[in-house]
Amino acid sequence: MVSFILRRILVSILILIAASFLMYVMVGYSADPLQDLTSSNSPNKQQLINARVSLLDLDVPPPLRWVLWLGGVAKCAVPFANACDLGSTVSKAQVVDILPNALAATVQLVTFALVLAILLGVTIGIITALRQYSGLDNTVTFVSFFLYSLPAFLVAVLLKEFIAIGFNDFLRDPVIGGLALVVIGLVIGAIWQSLLGGDAKRRLVVFLVSGLATSGVLLLMSATGWFMHPGLGAIPIILLVAAIALGSATLLAGLRNRRALITAGINAAIALVAYFTLQPLFDISSAGTLFILALATAAVGLVSGFLAGGYDRGQNMRVGLVTALLSGAVVLLDRFMQSWGDLLTATNGRPIATVGSKTPGLSGDVWLGGLDAFAHLTLPTIALLLISFAGYTRYSRAGMLEVLSLDYIRTARAKGLPERTVIVRHAFRNMLIPLTTLVAFDVGALLGGAIITEKVFAIPGMGSLFNAGLQRGDLNPVMGYFLIVAAMAITFNFLADMAYAGLDPRVRIR
Amino acid sequence: MSIRGKLFRKSVSGVAVLGVAALALTACTTSGSTGTNTDTAATGGTVTVAVVNDFTSFNNQTPQSNLDTNGQVGYLMGNYGSAFSYIDKDFKIVHEDKFGTFEKTSDDPQTVTYTLNPDDKWSDGEPVTADDMVLSWATQAGYYNSSTTDPDSGDVVSGTQYFEIAASTAGLDTTAFPTVSDDNLSMTLVYGTPYVDWELVNPIGQPAHIVAKKAGLSSAADLTALMKSLPKGDPANPAAADPTLKAAADFVNTGYDVTAFPTDPDLLVSSGPMVPTGWTPGQSFTMERNKYYVGGMIPKIDKMILRVIPDANAQVTALQNGEVDIINPQASADTLTALENTGADVLTGDQVSYDHLDLRFDQPVFADIKVRQAFLKTIPRQQILDSIVTPVNPDAKVLNSQIWVPANEPYADSVANNGSKDYADVDIDGAKALLAGATPSVRILYNTNNPNRVDEFQAIQESAAKAGITVVDAGSPDWSSLLSGGDYDASLFGWISPGVGSAGISQIFSTDGGGNYNHYTGTNDDAIATQTTLDPDKLIALEKNMDKQMFADAYGLPLFQLPGVFGVSKRVSGVEYMGNQTGPFWNFWEWSVSK
Repeated sequence: MVSFILRRILVSILILIAASFLMYVMVGYSADPLQDLTSSNSPNKQQLINARVSLLDLDVPPPLRWVLWLGGVAKCAVPFANACDLGSTVSKAQVVDILPNALAATVQLVTFALVLAILLGVTIGIITALRQYSGLDNTVTFVSFFLYSLPAFLVAVLLKEFIAIGFNDFLRDPVIGGLALVVIGLVIGAIWQSLLGGDAKRRLVVFLVSGLATSGVLLLMSATGWFMHPGLGAIPIILLVAAIALGSATLLAGLRNRRALITAGINAAIALVAYFTLQPLFDISSAGTLFILALATAAVGLVSGFLAGGYDRGQNMRVGLVTALLSGAVVLLDRFMQSWGDLLTATNGRPIATVGSKTPGLSGDVWLGGLDAFAHLTLPTIALLLISFAGYTRYSRAGMLEVLSLDYIRTARAKGLPERTVIVRHAFRNMLIPLTTLVAFDVGALLGGAIITEKVFAIPGMGSLFNAGLQRGDLNPVMGYFLIVAAMAITFNFLADMAYAGLDPRVRIR
Repeated sequence: MSIRGKLFRKSVSGVAVLGVAALALTACTTSGSTGTNTDTAATGGTVTVAVVNDFTSFNNQTPQSNLDTNGQVGYLMGNYGSAFSYIDKDFKIVHEDKFGTFEKTSDDPQTVTYTLNPDDKWSDGEPVTADDMVLSWATQAGYYNSSTTDPDSGDVVSGTQYFEIAASTAGLDTTAFPTVSDDNLSMTLVYGTPYVDWELVNPIGQPAHIVAKKAGLSSAADLTALMKSLPKGDPANPAAADPTLKAAADFVNTGYDVTAFPTDPDLLVSSGPMVPTGWTPGQSFTMERNKYYVGGMIPKIDKMILRVIPDANAQVTALQNGEVDIINPQASADTLTALENTGADVLTGDQVSYDHLDLRFDQPVFADIKVRQAFLKTIPRQQILDSIVTPVNPDAKVLNSQIWVPANEPYADSVANNGSKDYADVDIDGAKALLAGATPSVRILYNTNNPNRVDEFQAIQESAAKAGITVVDAGSPDWSSLLSGGDYDASLFGWISPGVGSAGISQIFSTDGGGNYNHYTGTNDDAIATQTTLDPDKLIALEKNMDKQMFADAYGLPLFQLPGVFGVSKRVSGVEYMGNQTGPFWNFWEWSVSK
């Protein structure tokens, strides 16, 4: 095992060095960092060219310059010396100084998109696999492929036009018209009846109930000005938390498992108590406070699950954890919504943004800041989500179908296990194995930034750094980008191999 | 299978019912906004302007930081180009007399005196004095530099390079160490040889008291005294480097380059109408009014935010969504259409950069003037304009002068007499007559990555073929490095006309000028004479003469000015079109915001 890891690390470093040479030489020969100067009519043109040549060592041919560059990179390997030298940009900024900014912007952008894509993709993949060739399955397949095939810049423009500008215009006078209510009701009804299925009569009832209920609620929301002053309020929070407790107990353990129900109940109760007592603390919270609260929530979930005991403590702890985290999220959501009014004031009533990741000059507490980040990152996150989401639904659907047709699933059913246990415990886990490879690849690729998405939404991430560097013939930032992306790709492939060995007992690492 | 379906349905319907119920109850209770501990953006008074490039330095005069956004921030901070004077939208130099006055007191020797308003202060409360002007003069004149650089590596091989600046030191390099008045408020420059663009010299840059502090001196006066004691740099016989001045120069050269908002307030000290107050790299740069500023450019708005949005369409949607108030995107027909649909005010005009076709006089094919004239007669300039510029700027006209753009006053008069009307229309028959049966072949160098140039090339190729001239494609993505010494007969590229000043003229049109890729000699004497001509009337006469001579010699043809477009939100008024690098910022003090 250790020798395998060491060998892999060594080989990875060699690959990285060889790849950096290729990249450096190719970009070095194709890019012209002097282009803006050679065509200049400035009287001291030659002097400016000299200054840049001297700054970037342009008189050294690229293969030799790569050696100089590698010498600087090698200093990064010295721990704690802070001697990293990745060269400077054309405007004399050190690449080591600008990389962290770009990386942070990209991580902020892609984290949510990745998590949401995996959660939604896998969930929808499983549901469509369980209802193979149903109307729902076909619709989801169609929609996901349709979205997947749309070019990113077009999706971005549509999102900006309809979600940002459209929604902001709507907020000026947040009343949903009669026609819109009918259409929304019809669409929601259609979705629910297709999700629930059954015979024609049942579908009709579901369609009517869900459609009418949705339209009615929206009518009520627009009549009471909910869009300007959103919030959940006590009673909906109690109901939501109860639903979460019930749902997670049902999914993870089954309603017959009383210990799991007790665990979920305890956590739900704690969440509700927290909702009523912690509001003053929330008002003075910082991001750090919230992080500690999240840790505490997770600990409470795990401990309560452990204490509830029973024959399967691990299961109880999972139920406790999921319930605690989700109910905590509902309580936080409510608190975030309370800052909506401040955000509306700060943005002249147009909260959903089309560029950047924060409102310039906005200073406020963690709630306003969080809401502002949400308002800025929603659109790029959706745009990125749509690209990787389709892949996950396809993989997880196919994986689930394959696993469900295996003999051990038939055996599990034959010995009378509940269907929930068969799917969640026996099928779901094995289905996840091939997905690890996909996730590992995606993490590496997404950290490289999404060049188009970042450009369209003006987010100064890794993709913009690379793009700007390439356009200006600025080699060092391009190489800085390359280092990060290549290192990430290699690392995450390595991690995927390790995870494979952990998940699948048939795979051995030697 | 049916068991599975039923269970699934049950659980999903359970969730569905709860979901709808929760949604319903949500609507019943509205918990109003309670949080009040927020400091929202200043009400009224804030204008947000979209810029394409990020900010990199508080000193926009160094070779590495001479970029548009840095320059615009410098304009607002009063560095170089907005202290004693500014350039208006008609490319006239406007003296800003409230900050200080300057005038030419003698022609022989040329003497210019700058006098500050005694109330001028830096944004840290320190007074602006002649010490600041002397420092700025030393920086711009390169007075102390004694360095010789290696032409290959660009490294200094002997002597000392003190202040590095992007602009040319030509003109100021002949000045002697300035005389400072007793009240330390005025500075007099005496030029060794007359300098035509003296009015563009603006001697306010970095605060001398800050630079002195960073160099280890106790006051700005000490810095001036130190500089006064040092000799003028002589590359042939360099003196030993002065460590204190070198430290001061190093700070000015690189100390202002930043990758994050500086924690050192000294870097933010401004003499102009606005001071920087915040920067999120890659996203936004915030400036607020400088309460110490007493000049005439006092803005009506309290706060200006520059937002970095590289993509033109993203700028348009951001304007539409109210995130920015003024945009200056790269102009294209699509951008213009999108912009017009937003309901914002759209201002179009010409940029100072213009495309032109040049012929090389050292190539055999163009040795005969008749061939040059014939080729130029086939250039479909109107057609090129109609396909590239008119969709964005319907008022655009073909450019007819090598020296001026239409915004300059002498343009109309010069165009009437310079002989450009010989090439007003495509004249295939005239070209054929001149060629008298010859079928020359012309290789044109252009940038194949620039769609405009590709369009121009194709239009010229097609039109020239009708007269029997074969146009060969010598385009290349590396065109700029091929300009001098490449294998071509004619070139298509763009110059950026400064709009004001005449320093660029000798660069392009004198025989040894660095931008004379055409080996053209016809205007050499006039071009050199312009550089030392102080009488504006004489200068214009010289330039008109050059303009005429170039058309007579069939030097080449100017084609068109690139179109520019501003989009301005209805809530901001006072913005006017400007085609140079300062862009919309040129009259920022006239902007106002309606509530």
